Amino acid sequence: MTPPLDLAVEPGDWLRSVVALRDEGCEVFDFLTAVDRGQVIEVVVRVMNPATKAATMVWTTVPADAAELASLSEHYLGATWCERETAEMFGVRFMGLADQRPLLLRATLGRPPMLKESALVARAVREWPGAAQATDDGRQGGNPSRRRQLPPGVPDDFLRPDRSSLDQSAGTT
Amino acid sequence: MIPTEAHGTIALQPSACTSCMICVRECPTWCIELESHTEQVSEPDARRPKTVNILDAFRIDFGLCMYCGICVDLCPFDALAWSPEHDLAATTAGGLVLGIDELSRAWPNRNPTSGS
Repeated sequence: MTPPLDLAVEPGDWLRSVVALRDEGCEVFDFLTAVDRGQVIEVVVRVMNPATKAATMVWTTVPADAAELASLSEHYLGATWCERETAEMFGVRFMGLADQRPLLLRATLGRPPMLKESALVARAVREWPGAAQATDDGRQGGNPSRRRQLPPGVPDDFLRPDRSSLDQSAGTT
Repeated sequence: MIPTEAHGTIALQPSACTSCMICVRECPTWCIELESHTEQVSEPDARRPKTVNILDAFRIDFGLCMYCGICVDLCPFDALAWSPEHDLAATTAGGLVLGIDELSRAWPNRNPTSGS
């Protein structure tokens, strides 16, 4: 039987669905990662059948403020590394993951850096070059007011002084 | 032999640049900086003087640039183009910041498909 290319499951069915695919022959663990969609975080795993080369991507969504999912690490040896990475980059907790050590980042870094609301320090410490405007040459009254510009792809409150994510980055784990 | 359409570096044609800032604002790595001022230009048969932007400085920091080419694609005046010049190296990080002179020197004169 050919497994589906894409499979969307409920978080509660995550472990059962992936293990069922493994039992059908998808024994190769390719990767596991996540995508920040704002209110929810999508988690995706790709597993492959080495005999037929058929691969399946299994997707599920967990709420961003309570991102918890069953760990696949007992069923795929390669899953531990990807789950540790997804945990520290996206803040997803993998229940049953034996090795919870941070993979790359210091434990005190703060918000998971791949969440869209996490401001890059390199962006916060530097003025956006696109904010510059042509200076007037000998005209009275200065520049006409233009609509406020934002760098592409950043939150609406980007670079406002009351941003909270920067303040929090020193505290929580 | 490096093909003339190779993406070696990004070059600037300052005479075509209107200082519209589109490249600066769309650059994902914030590697382009542009300084300009406005001047009043009077034309004999115009009722009012025209305000034009004059380009004062244009810098690309190739230490930040990831060669995505978004600036080349988006420039409405074809003032930016890919150039096959590729021997970009420096002994300091600041040496990778190229200004108008260096960027326009790389303009691909031999490449009929870009610039125009």
